[in-house]
Amino acid sequence: MKDKRALIVTIVITAALACVPFVINTETSYFVYFLFLSFTYIIITQGWNVVAGYTGQISLGQHAFFGLGAYTTAMNWIYDITKTGYYFDPVTMLLSGIVPAIVAIAIGIPLLSKLRGDYFALGTLGLGEIIRVYFIKGGTYTGGPIGLLIPSNVYTSMRPYYWTGLFLALFATSVVYFLTRSRIGLALTAIREDETAAAANGINILKYKIFAFSVGAFLSGLGGSLTAYYLFHISPESVLLLKWTLYPILMCVIGGSGTITGPIIGAVFMTAVFSIANIYLPETHPILSGLLIILVMKFMPKGLVGLREKIRPR
Amino acid sequence: MLDILSFQLVSQLLINGILFGTMYGIAAIGLSLIYGTMRIIFLAQGTIIIFLAYICYWFFKLLGIDPYLSILLVVPVSLLLGMGFYQGLFREAAALEDKNISLLIAVGLMFLVENLMATMWSSNPRSIMTSYTAYGVSTLGLRVSFTRLMGFIMAVLSTIGVNLFLNKTLVGKAVKAASEDMEAAALVGISPHAVNGIAFAIGIGLAGTAGVALATTYSFDPYFGFIFALKAMIALALGGMGSVTGAFLGGILLGVLESVGSFVISGGWADAISYGVFLIVLMFKPEGLFVRSVKKA
Repeated sequence: MKDKRALIVTIVITAALACVPFVINTETSYFVYFLFLSFTYIIITQGWNVVAGYTGQISLGQHAFFGLGAYTTAMNWIYDITKTGYYFDPVTMLLSGIVPAIVAIAIGIPLLSKLRGDYFALGTLGLGEIIRVYFIKGGTYTGGPIGLLIPSNVYTSMRPYYWTGLFLALFATSVVYFLTRSRIGLALTAIREDETAAAANGINILKYKIFAFSVGAFLSGLGGSLTAYYLFHISPESVLLLKWTLYPILMCVIGGSGTITGPIIGAVFMTAVFSIANIYLPETHPILSGLLIILVMKFMPKGLVGLREKIRPR
Repeated sequence: MLDILSFQLVSQLLINGILFGTMYGIAAIGLSLIYGTMRIIFLAQGTIIIFLAYICYWFFKLLGIDPYLSILLVVPVSLLLGMGFYQGLFREAAALEDKNISLLIAVGLMFLVENLMATMWSSNPRSIMTSYTAYGVSTLGLRVSFTRLMGFIMAVLSTIGVNLFLNKTLVGKAVKAASEDMEAAALVGISPHAVNGIAFAIGIGLAGTAGVALATTYSFDPYFGFIFALKAMIALALGGMGSVTGAFLGGILLGVLESVGSFVISGGWADAISYGVFLIVLMFKPEGLFVRSVKKA
């Protein structure tokens, strides 16, 4: 019954959002851009939600996966690797998710088998930074610190961005939804709650942790791909910044991590705060954001989702 | 390549590394103390150091107080600041099971202070120029600047000071006990809030020392803090979480690694090398390089 209602609400909201470009002029409206940005954040926030919210492994290296996704999109386009169309090409986008996922499996095996808790967080942070330095310093193919330029003359309208963003946000949310309703989801939550007990009940901890880590990387890579199409200029300074790890964490925790709606609420809320502050207080907006994080965490440690429980007790 | 590696050069590289590494060392001790009782990595540490470096800078610029003399003002201010941070921001969050809350408050604090500084004082790099800034000590053909040497001495003194405090005084022993086992410490009547507050105060107090050392030696800007905190974190992990001397030695090791790494390969790669070494240490000796035995799994 509850699931049915949630399904109906999801369909209605998605349909309403899908109609927005027909009502509002997408090229001039800031609101459409705001929604597009929110969708991007929802995708990567759900990615972090799988790893940290449900499995309890705090990953601070998501920006590396995000950047790898963006670079995969750009490189596949420029070097013409898959020979498919490149502008919003499903193959390219899928590949942009798969490459980070494979990298996540490769680095997840040594990291997750050895490190736990804070040490895992530090290890992923270190790896993320190594990958960033590698992209800045290295490479004949990645363009070093200057980065890669995708031909921007293909841009015609904001509409495909909007719909792709909406679709991917829905996809990311459904991935999390179906994952948590399955046996895998139970295993992941069990690992978060008590690793030893989970192992004692026959859960292969390493396998599930790596699985969650790669799903998170996959979603981050998708977000990176979408951002690459929007930016047209991929450089370490734009897609490998630590902000692509910090913002999802922020949004996830402020919304309520380990829930399905939390990351969505958090992403939309924080994007709204960033945007409003950016318009009205261009100079001081990061100060305001910092203050807001402190206030939300101090007075609503369960996130915005927890607010509902406070108001309407079960 | 090898023919330019003379004894002099190598020693100079080592000395530079050690002297810069002490800076990471003091920051890492602060992190270690806060981590010890609260079990969070206080990411805002680097930004607070920069903030206190600014305080030292303004004391010098506006009031003409000698930066080394201003330690007497900066350290008490920072002790109070640390106590204030704990009582004002972290008190409720420290009691929660979920440590992410405290971590995020620290991130928020970092954003806030960093951008406050950038807005109020502009993001131009600043440095303190005194009459003795250019003064240096030369022995055996090696040159060490006076300010760096002072920074080193301050770092060593504060390490010794914190060690004495933790091992000799009753309050210090309480902090140490709490960082070994908070529950057991609470059972024998140590108030978690009190020890958390003290750990925070001393951690930020050390940030004050680091701030003065930084302000007198290098130029700094508001955004330098986060990278500095990351480096301090690496130093902490190299030395072993929860060990004061280890954290200090970890800082020195990191400084040497960076100094030698950036000479042998190139500036940008030095970061990757230090992260690489950090990862290897995490994988194979997660209890840190300078800790002899593991007490708890």
